[in-house]
Amino acid sequence: MERAAWTTAVKVGGMREVEPGATGAAGGGWLGPCGAQARVEKGVRRGSVKASAAHRRAALADRLATAGIWALSILALSTVALVIGAVLWKGLGTALSPAFVFGKPQAMREGGGVWPMVVSSFHLSLLTLALVVPLGVGAAVYMSEFAGVGRLARLVRFGADSLSAVPSVVFGIFGMVVFVVYLGLGYSLLAGALTLALLNLPTVMRSAEESIKAVPRSYLEAALATGCTKWEAVKRVVLPVAVPGIATGAILTAGRIVGESAAVIYTVGLFVRRVPWSPFRPAAPMAANIWHMYTEGALVPDWFRVASGEAALLLLIVLTLNLVARTTAKAVRKRMGYRD
Amino acid sequence: MYVIRREWLVKRVLLVTAMVVVLGLALVVYFMVKESIPAFKQAGPANLFSSEWAPGEGRYGMLIFLVGTLATTAGGLILGTPLALGLALFLTQVAPRRSRALFSRGVETLAGIPSIVLGWLGFTILVPWIRELSGSSGSGILAASIVLAVMVIPTITAISRDALEAVPSTYAQASLAMGATRWQTIRRVQLPAAKHGILAAIILGMGRAIGETMAVAMVIGPASVFPTSLTSPTHTLTTKILMEMGESTGVQRSSLFAMGLVLLMLAMALIALMRRVSGGRSATPEVVE
Repeated sequence: MERAAWTTAVKVGGMREVEPGATGAAGGGWLGPCGAQARVEKGVRRGSVKASAAHRRAALADRLATAGIWALSILALSTVALVIGAVLWKGLGTALSPAFVFGKPQAMREGGGVWPMVVSSFHLSLLTLALVVPLGVGAAVYMSEFAGVGRLARLVRFGADSLSAVPSVVFGIFGMVVFVVYLGLGYSLLAGALTLALLNLPTVMRSAEESIKAVPRSYLEAALATGCTKWEAVKRVVLPVAVPGIATGAILTAGRIVGESAAVIYTVGLFVRRVPWSPFRPAAPMAANIWHMYTEGALVPDWFRVASGEAALLLLIVLTLNLVARTTAKAVRKRMGYRD
Repeated sequence: MYVIRREWLVKRVLLVTAMVVVLGLALVVYFMVKESIPAFKQAGPANLFSSEWAPGEGRYGMLIFLVGTLATTAGGLILGTPLALGLALFLTQVAPRRSRALFSRGVETLAGIPSIVLGWLGFTILVPWIRELSGSSGSGILAASIVLAVMVIPTITAISRDALEAVPSTYAQASLAMGATRWQTIRRVQLPAAKHGILAAIILGMGRAIGETMAVAMVIGPASVFPTSLTSPTHTLTTKILMEMGESTGVQRSSLFAMGLVLLMLAMALIALMRRVSGGRSATPEVVE
């Protein structure tokens, strides 16, 4: 029905012949290879093409839908800007002052800093990555090079998918029961790192797998042809090429660890006065400390300033990590001769 | 001989690392079940799934919190899905080609923002704002839904975008060549072709909303009662666990683990559904572009 209407429209208007590609598809695929549809619409607007009612309806619906998609997108994208802007507006002044970042925390008086919390977040990330990256890469190598498509591979895939869906607060109370109480680690960096390692294992594994899969198959085949065993070929040829991708995944994971709080609150701790230097010591990552300020905040007169500053600092750290990860990924891709 | 044995050993070691996820999942399920047994034994299922929460009187009903979880999740999806789908269509069909990467990166940035930061923002800006507009306390289902919408947008957008991009371009070309408008092509060709991926995206977003804790905890109230309006304080399963685990013992503590078990089962059911919808493709979200 509508198709027929279009054909008529073109016939009635007596279209001028145009060289293919004159308007080009570069502006957007919808125009068709020679932008014929746009020309018809232009003709309709100018009156040189007579349009049927069906055509006019279709054209109107198209324009309305386009406007709707633009409106929804602008709303969604402005949310991003709004969120980042609001967090920084509330806390950037505090977050950038050295007295706050490097200062000692206060439990009762105002003017406290957050240096032990910053170090806690940093140590927690390092410890978790040290646990989760070897495991994740090992699992990824197994899944992409050795597992095949058997029942075992399906079981591992099921485990990873299910584990990635478990809410972080469930990991939190699991870590509390198993690592804090059962293994007797108490509230400590290690208990938190073990919990977070389990939480992040599926995503680390997935990103490592994608990086390994991106290595051309011919590399492995060439290595095997020279007499390498499978493991030698993987270790000396495939993994070195996949390292940048794995590193990108690890940096993004660090961002997730720094921002995690629900799994940390009942495994690591909420407030410390001193910088934690041992994995067996309690610590207070920034994210958990914001929660502490929110719940017990009334103890500190300027809890609002501290929490806002921590939120801004946390956001800056996470955004920087994401930026670093993506820039490295891009630089490496370029050096290796891939294009985006 | 040595080489063969080493090869055998390496393969076994790698298998062990791969089995850690299976073992981890089994442990999580085992301990959730084990810790909630006292609640099921001493309070009984009828008590646990009732709508009255009064630990002092031996009432451990979780219905209020289950309703809170479902209501906030539904609210977040209702607000977030149209925006996310609009954005996915924008990124694949409408946006000027050169700026698509930039906009994509904007959405990914949103995915990286820690939930505690979003919660803090909700607590300091959104809740006072709703309070002023509605004259109520400001916190409740509405505030939680808005925060959750912001959290599910990046998930749903990224996966729907990939699904739309996976539709062969020849489909759209054929449709356009027959004279269909762009909207007709989107509605009749591309959306139906990407249906499964989009559905999977929404399910994954739902999983994220159900499990979200910190962001909701700061804007939900809290109060252990059924909400009387969209702006009256209540609780969800996650926020209840978070706020009471620290100071509860005995059956009350065990009933919080029972809530964790319910959350776990909801999450696993969603993943099973998602694996079915997406035809056995891995359901673990990617972190790398």
